[in-house]
Amino acid sequence: MKDGTPTAAAPRIDVPVAITAARVLRLLEVPAALAVVVALWQVVSVAVGNKTLVPPPSLVLTAWVELVHGDLRDDVLASLAHLALGYALGAGTGLALAVLSARFAMLESIVDPFVELLRPISAIAWIPLAILMFGISAKVPVFLIFYAALFPIFVNTVAGVKQVDPQLVRAARALGASPRLILTHVVMPSALPFVLAGARLSLGVAWMAMVAAELTGSDAGLGWRLFWYQEFFAMNKVMAVILTIGVLGFLLDTLLRGLQARITRWSPDASRDDAR
Amino acid sequence: MIDRRAWLPFSVVAAAMVIAWQAGVVSMRQQALVPYPVGVVEAAVRTVKDGSLLTATANSLVRVLVGFGIGALFGIPLGVVMGFVRPVGRALGPIVDSLRSIAPIAWIPMALLWLGIRGNAALFIVAYAAFFPFVINAAQGARLIDRNLVNAARALGAGRALVLRAVVLPSALPAILAGARISMAFAWGSIIAAELAMGIKVTSGTSGAVGLGQLMVSTLYVRRDVNALVLYMIVIGVISLFIDLAMRRLQRSLTPWGHS
Amino acid sequence: MNAKIEARSVSKTYVSSRTGERVEALHDVSFSLQPHEFVSIVGPSGGGKSTLLSLVAGFVAPSAGEVLEDGARITGPDPRRGVVFQDYALFPWRTVLGNVEFGPLARGASREAMRATAQRYIDLVGLAGFEQRYPHELSGGMRQRCALARLLANEPDVWLMDEPLAAVDLQTRNILQDELLRLWGDGEERTQRRAVLFVTHGIDEAVYLSDRVLVLGRRPGRIKEVVTIDLPRPRTSLRNSAAAGRHIDFIWGLIRDEATRAIVEESA
Repeated sequence: MKDGTPTAAAPRIDVPVAITAARVLRLLEVPAALAVVVALWQVVSVAVGNKTLVPPPSLVLTAWVELVHGDLRDDVLASLAHLALGYALGAGTGLALAVLSARFAMLESIVDPFVELLRPISAIAWIPLAILMFGISAKVPVFLIFYAALFPIFVNTVAGVKQVDPQLVRAARALGASPRLILTHVVMPSALPFVLAGARLSLGVAWMAMVAAELTGSDAGLGWRLFWYQEFFAMNKVMAVILTIGVLGFLLDTLLRGLQARITRWSPDASRDDAR
Repeated sequence: MIDRRAWLPFSVVAAAMVIAWQAGVVSMRQQALVPYPVGVVEAAVRTVKDGSLLTATANSLVRVLVGFGIGALFGIPLGVVMGFVRPVGRALGPIVDSLRSIAPIAWIPMALLWLGIRGNAALFIVAYAAFFPFVINAAQGARLIDRNLVNAARALGAGRALVLRAVVLPSALPAILAGARISMAFAWGSIIAAELAMGIKVTSGTSGAVGLGQLMVSTLYVRRDVNALVLYMIVIGVISLFIDLAMRRLQRSLTPWGHS
Repeated sequence: MNAKIEARSVSKTYVSSRTGERVEALHDVSFSLQPHEFVSIVGPSGGGKSTLLSLVAGFVAPSAGEVLEDGARITGPDPRRGVVFQDYALFPWRTVLGNVEFGPLARGASREAMRATAQRYIDLVGLAGFEQRYPHELSGGMRQRCALARLLANEPDVWLMDEPLAAVDLQTRNILQDELLRLWGDGEERTQRRAVLFVTHGIDEAVYLSDRVLVLGRRPGRIKEVVTIDLPRPRTSLRNSAAAGRHIDFIWGLIRDEATRAIVEESA
């Protein structure tokens, strides 16, 4: 300072340290919470005393490790196969129908009421009929997933195409763009965030439909395996499968969310999580 | 919703399809194997008369309502706290997200073990399914409230609990109601799934009250009545619609000052 | 000299699809735009200024009369008549470079030609270094420049501008006005300049920039007066001159009553 007294330099150094400390604490919050949950789980398990009724975390972990080297691989693959096929068919059909309805008003006036009428009948309600039609086989989950995935994609794509800013279309026309170019370079990019939101919703319902369908109507996959272990009362293995279902579903959603964020980088509010 | 102008072409196409469907099945003499419109109507008359349809529907609905209530009871407070108190939200968020990805009916084996077959396992599944939309939406609503309102309450001497109860909760109400709508839809979907799963997989012991799901299973495996199956599907759909309409009505009447 | 753009007894009536109400936006409007002149359109709110621009752009067709470009009737939008919109209408999913090269892309230019042209105009408007930014990352003034570069990259004969400077603050607006004049060729030979049709609410802006000012009345929109601005070019030193002030007062006197009425009616 001007009158010769030294300025306190300490505060200026502490700030970055404080920021780093806060950041570290933040990173620890999630593992800490997980640890608390596992600890509670262990307490409950010990309190109940019955290893079948409430399998302790350690037993579930060993069961999980055992399964990973064994049947789990096949189950996961089977489930993912069901999901991939059903989702591709459902989302593809939904997308195609949506784009065509947006283009041809006559088609829309027929398709839209059908969709509105079928939508309340959830995929689950189709299970008995599907079992009757296809028997206990992989076709049941694939059909269910197809049905479940179709609607969110259809609805969201239609909404996305409809909200394209007409001003942007006019700007493209004034720059000399052909109708085809307008479709590919203006309408589709503009509708993309909506389509992706629909894709995420579709994945969510498809995942649930998959579990329900496999549980009741197929002979392979994670859902089916749940009851298989239940019949032996191997509850630790049941828990392990449940956790696998949860983690896998979470991973798939995170993947899609990452894709969504990357593709819609250009929008200031695109990565906001409003598709919950 | 459906565009008014589309009613005419759609009705014509739909009516034509129904007639063609009926005629086709009858002409090919497939009445025993394939569902057809008149058969579905017959099944409707039959199951209403002998009470099976109405009883089953009532049982399912009761489970839905109770499960919904439980989900709300636990979900709303947790969500509000998670949304309002940031560290709690950040800590519990990933856990809630992971649990959410576990489809409710995956818990059936555990639920059956813990709560037994007399319908309580199904109740647990419904409550589980209804719980999460409440948490998510209540948290969102609490997160987005105007901090000025909170500060105003604080400046007037309100303690943390009162602030939560009297400011945060009402402010988050629109979001909570939006969550209620989703919860209800999930609850209805899960009860059917749970009842179906229990009906198919649990082959021994008493089955407790018969809901729509179990009715569908017995029709599938015992009576093999396709028409009844289609009828039940339509009933499930119609109830879905009613539920959604009712929730929307409720949402509008409880938040006259505007909703999301 | 033949007019670049000519409107002959143009009328435009809108029918509300919801209520069936008929609104006559323009009534019997005739004017011509010469090849190298800058013409502004001013008038009270709701006076049909934007409608007139839309007609010349080719986004809508007149209910009566015709609009001609080089003697031929206008039937739709065309890159020869470039447009700058009030809220820029930049493609949010394309970078600055992506937006500016859209015109050449639409017309089938090769990738190198596209890029080179776009870069040239990006540099010209002063956005060098921002090529990879997205519109939402730019300030209002910069978005305006991007919209301008996008227009210029197509090298149109006619520039149609719908209140392009309405959304920026006053200081930025003055700077952008001078830049617009520079790009247009305010300090160059007259034959270097293109025809411009410029819609604005600001009478001072209109007087500052233009060779002529079309003053529209409202309900229905019609031409009250065409004022010739006889100020010399380049205009940069004449922003607050007394001569400019006289023009501004005159034009304001023409529309003051209607403008006042418009404020009341719009809010009701």
